[in-house]
Amino acid sequence: MTAGVLPVWWDDAADGPTNMAADELLAEEAERCGGLVIRLYAWSEPTVSLGAFQPIAEAESSTAIAGLPIVRRPSGGGALVHGTDLTYAAAVPKSHPWGGSPQALYDAMHGAMVAVLGMLGFDARLHVPSTDDPPADALLCFARRSPGDVVVRRPGRPAGPLDPKVMGSAQRRLGTTVLQHGSLLVATCPTVTDAARHDGLAELAGQPPEWTAESLADRWTALVAEPLGIAREFQSGAFSATRGPDIASRAGRFRDRRWTARR
Amino acid sequence: MAEMKFAKSHEWVRPEAGGLATVGISKYAVEALTDLVFMQLPPVGRKVKAGESLGEIESVKAVSDIYAPISGEIVEVNAALPGQLDTLGADPYGAGWIVRIRPDNPAEMAGLMDQAAYDATVKS
Repeated sequence: MTAGVLPVWWDDAADGPTNMAADELLAEEAERCGGLVIRLYAWSEPTVSLGAFQPIAEAESSTAIAGLPIVRRPSGGGALVHGTDLTYAAAVPKSHPWGGSPQALYDAMHGAMVAVLGMLGFDARLHVPSTDDPPADALLCFARRSPGDVVVRRPGRPAGPLDPKVMGSAQRRLGTTVLQHGSLLVATCPTVTDAARHDGLAELAGQPPEWTAESLADRWTALVAEPLGIAREFQSGAFSATRGPDIASRAGRFRDRRWTARR
Repeated sequence: MAEMKFAKSHEWVRPEAGGLATVGISKYAVEALTDLVFMQLPPVGRKVKAGESLGEIESVKAVSDIYAPISGEIVEVNAALPGQLDTLGADPYGAGWIVRIRPDNPAEMAGLMDQAAYDATVKS
């Protein structure tokens, strides 16, 4: 594999610690390939992933997400409820054009998603900060707004600063690589209470969707590769299958309460 | 004042009187991170090797490790800094210092970049 293609893996559902361990190894894969790599994946059960520095007490005392397993990400940002989202991890060497500043990779991934959503009939855009933004320290990612988040206008309503956020991402900037986690809210998550529910694309479509998470990811990854002048290349096996033993040994750190409750 | 040296990972280190070395992160790194929200410092007394993470800093979008530019023992931390993260942007080479290290081997600094070489890497 070379930096001349964008390798994309689509992995089977796994638990939180396994997914986090796989993503750490994905960052090493980016270093080895010398370019952008992407892993798309699902979760074996609805799970909350907590940002690297979010207080565990806040998550564990939240009745909105009570009962869900919690895994702490190495990346920053707010908590995500996984289960009805499309989760991705992208990694690039810091020497890559998108590795130099946090916003570059963020905008590249989100800009491509805005374009895909536009093709599917959504009025999507990158969020521009305003004085109406909710608090930046809200527990849940989809209750926050950061510059460049993907927001969608509700059908039949004018665009406004409180339009729902459907995609957010956050990074871990390692020594020589950048690991970016992100989530596209495909549909609202039924396993949480109303306080943690946010409308996803299915609710915002206004009509039964003709797309699936898979078709959307197909278009999205192809568009991500386009400005780099490279071709997206789906890999034949799951990333987790190729690095199974390494992932299993690293997952222990993410299962350890000392990591999950580090703050 | 002794010459400040820089690591590729954007930390700076400056020899001080008494054989200690002060460590911080460059203005470029602070500006690239933008909107800093949280910082975790290491405990005093911890031994670090060059290239090892000695702390973490979070901005609105990203968590970054702070790497030790040289090996040694952490003898002092800027405990006020996590509560005043604006200081990192306002005075990254002064009041925004992060830790003081007692170097294991002061000669390690020779392998780091001087200001001109570092400036060239961040401009390229």
